[in-house]
Amino acid sequence: MKLSIASRYAWRSLLRHRRRTFLSVAGIAIGCAVCLFVVGFVRGEGEMMLRAAAASGAGHLRIAPPGWRETGENRLRLDPWEDLLALAAETPGVTVATPHARAEALLAMGTRTAGVSLVGVDPAREPQANRLVQRVTEGRYLAPGETGTTVIGHALADRLGVGVDDLLMVTTSGQGGEMGSAMLKVVGIVSTGSRLLDDTFCQVSLADVAQLTGYEGVGDITLLVDDPQRRLDAIRQRLAARIGQRAEVLGWQEVVPELAAGTEVDATWSRLIVGVITLVVFFGIASAQLAAALERRREFAVLSALGMKRGRMVGIMLTEGLLLGSIGGLLALLVGASLTYLSATYGIDFSGMYHGADMGISNILIDPIMYSDFGWWLVPLALLLSLGATMLSSLYPAWYAVRTDPAEALRVDQ
Amino acid sequence: MPDDLLIQAEAVTKTYHAGNVAVPALRGVSLTVGAGEFLALVGPSGSGKTTFLNLVGALDTPTSGALTVFGRDVARLGKGERAELRLHALGFVFQAYNLVPVLTARENVEFVLELQGMGAERRTRAEEVLAQLGLVDLADRRPNELSGGQQQRVAVARAVASKPRLVLADEPTANLDGENAETLIELMRTLNREQGITFLFSTHDPRVVRHARRIITLEDGLVARDEPHTPETAHA
Repeated sequence: MKLSIASRYAWRSLLRHRRRTFLSVAGIAIGCAVCLFVVGFVRGEGEMMLRAAAASGAGHLRIAPPGWRETGENRLRLDPWEDLLALAAETPGVTVATPHARAEALLAMGTRTAGVSLVGVDPAREPQANRLVQRVTEGRYLAPGETGTTVIGHALADRLGVGVDDLLMVTTSGQGGEMGSAMLKVVGIVSTGSRLLDDTFCQVSLADVAQLTGYEGVGDITLLVDDPQRRLDAIRQRLAARIGQRAEVLGWQEVVPELAAGTEVDATWSRLIVGVITLVVFFGIASAQLAAALERRREFAVLSALGMKRGRMVGIMLTEGLLLGSIGGLLALLVGASLTYLSATYGIDFSGMYHGADMGISNILIDPIMYSDFGWWLVPLALLLSLGATMLSSLYPAWYAVRTDPAEALRVDQ
Repeated sequence: MPDDLLIQAEAVTKTYHAGNVAVPALRGVSLTVGAGEFLALVGPSGSGKTTFLNLVGALDTPTSGALTVFGRDVARLGKGERAELRLHALGFVFQAYNLVPVLTARENVEFVLELQGMGAERRTRAEEVLAQLGLVDLADRRPNELSGGQQQRVAVARAVASKPRLVLADEPTANLDGENAETLIELMRTLNREQGITFLFSTHDPRVVRHARRIITLEDGLVARDEPHTPETAHA
């Protein structure tokens, strides 16, 4: 297929000043590549937070009693929780459903005490939903059906000076405000890798929480779903429709708002960075294109004298922008996708930035090595950024070109 | 307006403004130009020749008076209509050639035909015109690879490729040496004679003026003389 003369004119006009064109393309490529990398990193971070929340026991979704979202009150109970658990378990897309009952408690060993958030679990289901309980380094995990036993974190055990088979006294506030106490035998110690998490980790059976607090049943059902990146919202809506008014279905962002807020802050920064870079590219290209239009003032006057209409002239300037954007976009894709691929494969280790401190937020264990998201989404984003910036930035030079008064331009330049 | 009357100017004025100062370029020009004429517009610098050509070429509009080109009142045409008129009925030849530097000679000629909406046959037409003007061997050269005379011949090829009825030439030989000026004017005469294209050109050059069949002299923005002329043969 032969190019039209107008297209050849546009292409060769870019080649008139190769250095300027090279710098324009380099600007687009570098700017857009940085944008791609930043977006890839933040997308990867979002996915990691989702996985971390899920694997640390917060789940992808949570079925909670009405009012829990507003109050965070642990005494609220799901009713009837067995029906809700069965309904959740049979909902398409839900892979794990496990019940919890929570209570604030005080653990004591001799004169040593520690406040913890006691979590009552179903030992048969919990290991499927919480990777932390798989990290039992001493003893064993809770057995289905047993009561009066507990698994605690390594740091908590150190603080209380207890080991496996030792007895701990647990004290909670009961239904009427009275104190409830019991003795729990430590059957296992968990080392999550985070001192912060190990210092508060304390799991018992659902029956023990009911006995200590006087509140029967469960406070929430934690769910994991299949392909959460794509299906989470749809499964949440379907489940909410099936449950109706009996309970609320919450996303992980509502369950762990601190984690979600951190991710959202990063996403906002990334949008800001992308916006600023796009603006810089926009003004850079606009400036270069305007210089090109100013230099060709007489040429535009001649073309106008020959009968070229405004639309055609705008078309030529936009074609030049399109060519710049396409080449810059492809280079941006090459550079940006390579960087994103490397960081998606090998990750970026942030542990040094924390100087040995934990990467734990709200009982969620965060991996200090962050991995970017690498995928086909890079292609449309690269083209959107590069072509969007160059086409828009070509509009002003195009407007300048069509406003050239041919008689004046020819008279002045003669 | 009869079909063979291409231009009709009645008391046409044009005033430019330099800041608050009004500079009259034309002060009431009245004349007519018929089909097939080979007409020279002469006069000293600043007499209004280029201004008049710009008005006839619909590049500009008169300040007052009536100017009709191909039966259309130039003052009443919008920008798009004026561009349409230039594209389909007029050809331009400029003093400084003004070829598009990044296009070859053939592409310069083809460009106008493409603007007119001509399809694949435009290449054949461009080569045909270049052949008529003895430029076939130079078709693939860019303007910077051509001499001034060759560039101006390509400019003439570009002006006549779309078969306009009227070609406006502003000092077409001003940048050419004697031999090239003679060749160019002979070429224009041939196109006038054989294809009936009307030529209206401004010039200072006596070598060009002697070929004209009518000479209009402008002085201070007014027609001082308008007289028929018997052209000399090319090598007389």
